[in-house]
Amino acid sequence: MLSVIAGKLAIIACKILKRSGTNMPGNVAAKIDKQVLKKLSEPFYIIMITGTNGKTTTTGMVSQILNENGVDFITNKSGANLFGGVTSLFISSVNVFGKCKKNTALIEVDEATIDRVTNYIEPDILVVTNFFRDQLDRYGELYSTLNKVRSGILKTKKIKLVLNSDDSLCASLGDATQNEVLYFGVEKTAIENTDENNISDASFCIHCKTKYEYSYFVLGHLGDFKCPKCGYSRPTPNVKCTDVLELTTTNSRIQFSIDDNSFEANINVAGFYNIYNALAAIACAKILDYPVEKSISALNNFQNSFGRMENIVVGNKNIRLILAKNPTGFNQILNYLFTEQRSVHVAFLINDRVQDGTDVSWLWDVDFEKLAQMDGHLSQVYASGIRAEDMAVRLKYAGVGTEKIITEKVYNQLISTGLDSLDTGNTLYIVPTYTAMLDIRQLLKEKFGLKDFWV
Amino acid sequence: MYELNICHLYPDLLNLYGDRGNVIALKKRCEWRDIAVNVINISCGDVFDHTKYDMIFIGGGQDYEQEILEADLLEDKADELKKAIENNKAVLAICGGYQLLGKYYKTGDGKTIEYLGALDLWTIAGNDRLIGNLVFECDFLKSDSFDGRVVGFENHSGKTYLGEGLKPMGKVISGYGNNAQDGFEGAVYKNTFCSYSHGSLLPKNPVLADYLISLALKEKYSDFTSLLTLDDNIELLCHDTVIKKIIK
Repeated sequence: MLSVIAGKLAIIACKILKRSGTNMPGNVAAKIDKQVLKKLSEPFYIIMITGTNGKTTTTGMVSQILNENGVDFITNKSGANLFGGVTSLFISSVNVFGKCKKNTALIEVDEATIDRVTNYIEPDILVVTNFFRDQLDRYGELYSTLNKVRSGILKTKKIKLVLNSDDSLCASLGDATQNEVLYFGVEKTAIENTDENNISDASFCIHCKTKYEYSYFVLGHLGDFKCPKCGYSRPTPNVKCTDVLELTTTNSRIQFSIDDNSFEANINVAGFYNIYNALAAIACAKILDYPVEKSISALNNFQNSFGRMENIVVGNKNIRLILAKNPTGFNQILNYLFTEQRSVHVAFLINDRVQDGTDVSWLWDVDFEKLAQMDGHLSQVYASGIRAEDMAVRLKYAGVGTEKIITEKVYNQLISTGLDSLDTGNTLYIVPTYTAMLDIRQLLKEKFGLKDFWV
Repeated sequence: MYELNICHLYPDLLNLYGDRGNVIALKKRCEWRDIAVNVINISCGDVFDHTKYDMIFIGGGQDYEQEILEADLLEDKADELKKAIENNKAVLAICGGYQLLGKYYKTGDGKTIEYLGALDLWTIAGNDRLIGNLVFECDFLKSDSFDGRVVGFENHSGKTYLGEGLKPMGKVISGYGNNAQDGFEGAVYKNTFCSYSHGSLLPKNPVLADYLISLALKEKYSDFTSLLTLDDNIELLCHDTVIKKIIK
């Protein structure tokens, strides 16, 4: 197939030129044959993962579950989740005749791209993690993104959905199909203190615009919502977290149930928000009829993707990279920092390139005031990245003492200073936006040796 | 001891682009000077008595949320808000809030929606979104030590036009401003300041923040002369760095 050959040549060219080449090869192939994605994807059983936060982690967890169940599959690397990237995945997986031995595809898809992708692909399963405000200069308003996903679903015939019951926006997609829909959520019994409703991206009923009533919040606008006027409310989750037994800086142990059966699982990645991602993966496995034990084993063995709670050991100290993309994600990371028993050293790397979002106003929707609440427990905060100065201003107004704020834009210097100030065995947390993540990871790779994420 | 009451209008609905940073900035800059601040959140169904507040802030939001508050703002709160503006209360209105204070909004399909009518301005829906970094120069902020430049970020499809007697807030140095045509940004009427700028606006524009605080204190306390100087190194470094980045 000519389009496949052209695409494959583009992939080789990118490798030679040492460009990441995640989206471009697919775009090259599509220029030659508009239907290339349709033709190549047809023979596959397709699992798609989308949503604002957690796509990559959930895709990684489902990957591990497929591995545990001995399934051969193709999957795209993070960052290759736009139309070109999805096409590139198939280009690189098939031979020049367009054939592939593997017949399952696990694809992470950007939420604004689902609508276009479903013009060519018929997904068998779509997992939607959640909807939060994110990069408003790219996505426009939150509801238009939600509507785009709905529009994509409506085009399909055999799709089964996995949806977040606690998210009023996500759950509303349940009526877009007559096929099977599984919901995942967190029960009241699993949370100690209900999260204060600091910022909510969806306070008002999606059907009738009346303000929702909540019997409890889990995080952001996620919780047990109910509209007092039209009755739209949280659907009963099929897969639910009933208790959180342990939350550490490296993992979470939970009790969960599928319908009436109860299980325990150790999720090998930290952060309360990752419990949601684990539940989504478990629900996806349920649709696939996999044994629960295999899902539990997968979560225990899970190794997260680059930049998502990625730990790098440097001598007798650690660096942990945690990608932050939007206010809710950031707030969850700040919550996570409270689980650190030792003194907290954290660097925020804020870029404003297109993939990060060019408007940094969103920093003011993040509850950095939490850092100030740490008092003596907070040792040092570094403001870095292209918009380091904006980050420093935010920290100052959040109540972090100016003596604790260090603005350092040179990454080499940031790492040296950061590590030098660390006590033995402690961790330097690095929280970057997307392109800052790519840059700092490049540097860490050169200094300490790390995997190329696209290899 | 001085004390200021700041009313944050519709913080749960008009909260899209980090605009609460303006309220945070005002509060902190007062507290650092031992001026007590109370922030009162007022939303749909809450009583709004303009005499109770010294400063009023209204931000921007999505169309979805804006529709929800329109009836409340334009019917229940209209009189009090107009009085606040006429009676020299310090008011800051950003983006959606800015538009709502005007006479009307004309949609893409030609429909005219009547707005508050407190200020002689109107907005017409445009086809393209005006998005990007924004720098504008305000005469009223100029001094021997300051060139009057304000820096922020705009993201709006509405184009706002000012009536004959209404002054803009500043001259656009880089960006689109009110309507991408006349070269001006924002509007000023008595002690009411309107702008399309997010950023948020006040944190890295401390001169503007202090100007608004001073207005409010002057109105309230006859013995107020001037604000204590603060160490604004972090804010000004940010202000200067971002402007340099925008105007290469």
